Amino acid sequence: MTPELEQTLALLSSHRSVLGYMLLSRGHPVSIIRHTGGVFDGEHGKKYAGVIARIVETVQSGLEEINGNENEGDDVKFLRIRTKRHELMISPDGRYLLAVLHEPS
Amino acid sequence: MSSTAERRQQIEAKRAKLAELRKARADRQKSDSDRKSSETSAGSFTPRNNDVDDLLSSILRESRGPGATAGNGYLDSGELTPSSSMPGTPSMGTSLLPSSLSGRASRNSDFASSIGTTLAPSINSATDNVMAREMVPRFLPDLIDIEQELFELPTKKERVIYNKEVQTMEIEVETPNNEAETLQRGVSEVDIEALQAARDRELEEESVQLDKEIEEEIREIPPEELASILAAPELLEFVDSTTKMFYRAIHDYDPTRDYRVGTEAGSDESEGRVKRVCEFFDERYTKNRSITDVDWSPQYPELSVASYNKNAAALNEPDGIVAVWNLHLLERPEFVFHSQSDVLSVTFSPFHSNLVFGGTYSGQILLWDNRSKHLPVLKTPLSASGHTHPVYSMQMVGTQNAHNLITSSTDGTVCSWLVDMLAQPQETQELIHAGHNKTGEVAITIMDFPDNETTAFWVGTEEGNVYQANRYDRAGAKAGLNQYDVYKAHAGPVMGLHFHPTSGSVDFSDLFLTSSVDWTVKLWRTKSLAKPSTTPHVISPLYSFDESDDPVYDVKWHPTHPAVFGAVDGSGKFDLWNLNMDTEVPVVQTSVGTGRALNKLQWDKKDGRRAAIGGSDGKLYIYDIGDMAIPRESEWSDLQKTVSGMVGGGAQTNGLVDGDVRSIAGR
Repeated sequence: MTPELEQTLALLSSHRSVLGYMLLSRGHPVSIIRHTGGVFDGEHGKKYAGVIARIVETVQSGLEEINGNENEGDDVKFLRIRTKRHELMISPDGRYLLAVLHEPS
Repeated sequence: MSSTAERRQQIEAKRAKLAELRKARADRQKSDSDRKSSETSAGSFTPRNNDVDDLLSSILRESRGPGATAGNGYLDSGELTPSSSMPGTPSMGTSLLPSSLSGRASRNSDFASSIGTTLAPSINSATDNVMAREMVPRFLPDLIDIEQELFELPTKKERVIYNKEVQTMEIEVETPNNEAETLQRGVSEVDIEALQAARDRELEEESVQLDKEIEEEIREIPPEELASILAAPELLEFVDSTTKMFYRAIHDYDPTRDYRVGTEAGSDESEGRVKRVCEFFDERYTKNRSITDVDWSPQYPELSVASYNKNAAALNEPDGIVAVWNLHLLERPEFVFHSQSDVLSVTFSPFHSNLVFGGTYSGQILLWDNRSKHLPVLKTPLSASGHTHPVYSMQMVGTQNAHNLITSSTDGTVCSWLVDMLAQPQETQELIHAGHNKTGEVAITIMDFPDNETTAFWVGTEEGNVYQANRYDRAGAKAGLNQYDVYKAHAGPVMGLHFHPTSGSVDFSDLFLTSSVDWTVKLWRTKSLAKPSTTPHVISPLYSFDESDDPVYDVKWHPTHPAVFGAVDGSGKFDLWNLNMDTEVPVVQTSVGTGRALNKLQWDKKDGRRAAIGGSDGKLYIYDIGDMAIPRESEWSDLQKTVSGMVGGGAQTNGLVDGDVRSIAGR
């Protein structure tokens, strides 16, 4: 784990409004590379991982459906889900997925 | 982990039972077809009641088993169903058991799959019983949900059919009416088979879902794999770019804000009409360093760049850092570039949105590209053909198609470079002051070109004088320093020099401001280039602004308002002057940061609302001056009047013209 990566992730999790982050690798099924924050621990965290993966899949397949067979189609770049209590920001990539849960003050 | 292992086991057990039942079903189907083809009496079945009872009880026990051990999630729902169905099954069993021996026997035969016996129509009823009973063990082991449903359906239907069949079948047996028989049987069998098909389908679905479940289980990554994933460079890049995205998103305006809900009134840290927008500082990169130069991006108004000098405390870190900051991303720089020597001047390339130039302490000129990583993509060589002294000043002149980077260093060398060819300068020029009594060298601290000028430029020197120089020979003037026209007034090194930007109805491009270590800011008018002097001639400033008590390190005209300029000094003050309002005192004087010296000031290129101020503490402050940046129509003519007023009343003002020094001293 390169020190730069460590630093960047540590900076992210120490941000005042960030409750935790989860770094997943895509593929079936998704697997958790790293996570911090009490929210993402243990079974609950695994559930989150499954849920997030499904959400991204749904949106992605929705986009594919809309775009039909146009070359390349559209890719999900950034998902921002604002709920009453928190905000979940998901950024998927071809290989990885970073999800951050934060509390907008 | 244990729960997942348990689940795995249970899933495996289910699978095994599924396989068993599938096999049983296949056999049953085979026997069904056999049954259809022949019609023999019911006598072939051998009542093996004991075996049947044993079988039944064992299966019932078995089904209770998984129901009892089922612990988690998926099987939780199942736990309820066996208990509900359990009472049903024994009763069912018991109700059926007495009803027909034949049924049991035939069921036995089926189950054993040894006797391919066929049953008389009377046995169809039994087979229905058997079906019912068979269903029981089949579903009990795993597909408990389905079991419940199916269990009910057949009971109702079965009973009906059974009753009917009993009545009709018996009659049928007595009258060998094959057609009727087959019809009846067909009907009932069709029903049965429909049921069976339904059951099979549901079985299949269940198994498919089970498979999916196992697949979708979130697995833990083994440590070796994890290490290799973490070491991948793509991961670092991905995390870098996504965290930047997150910070930007976090700082966005909250779209779900409801203004009807009242909040506590936040205290406004209003410093008059000049407000601090933000302060850029990064623990990792900018700690213990000072800002040496600041610039705004011409293409993206939210981007600014700052160059930093050496971090004396961290010798492993690169000596020079250039950081590009984004107004929307406060936590960390957008980009960071490294240099082996302190970077003293930096500029965005106005013609390429990706390039950043930097001049260093060693005399090298570096070019960074934000598409590449930290290191410069092009460097000038450390040779005599370029600079060998610190490059404090650089400027890009020309147009999109024909532009040059002009750099100046403290030994008087001025070089002109082509952007893509930094291997050697396009031209080098050493400014020499032949008439100087001590040394011909001109120690340039600051250099500026007037807007739209590419040949004539002015330099501020360490001795406090400002000279005009030419890059090339032109009509009436030679290339090199114009040593005769000396702009002499400052008592110390000139730290800032800025020409008035051309914008608006009146052209003030012959006015320039200088700021110096001698605590003053002076306003000058350039002598016409048409007639350079042949004898030493001193040019005095139009006006001198003496407000500050500290060296004034930078002064810059406002890009759109003709009468406004800003100055930053060594006590951490940012002075905003408006010549049309007051020439003696700045309009707003703001204390920036902790009172440490401010090194550079730069107005943003778009509308001049913001000023970037680089401090010696390594922090980049962004201030917003709001409406003061907006000029009225009359500003230009007003400024003309003001300037002519200054010129006229020059002797009375506090302009430190040479001749007045003695009189002031004598006061």
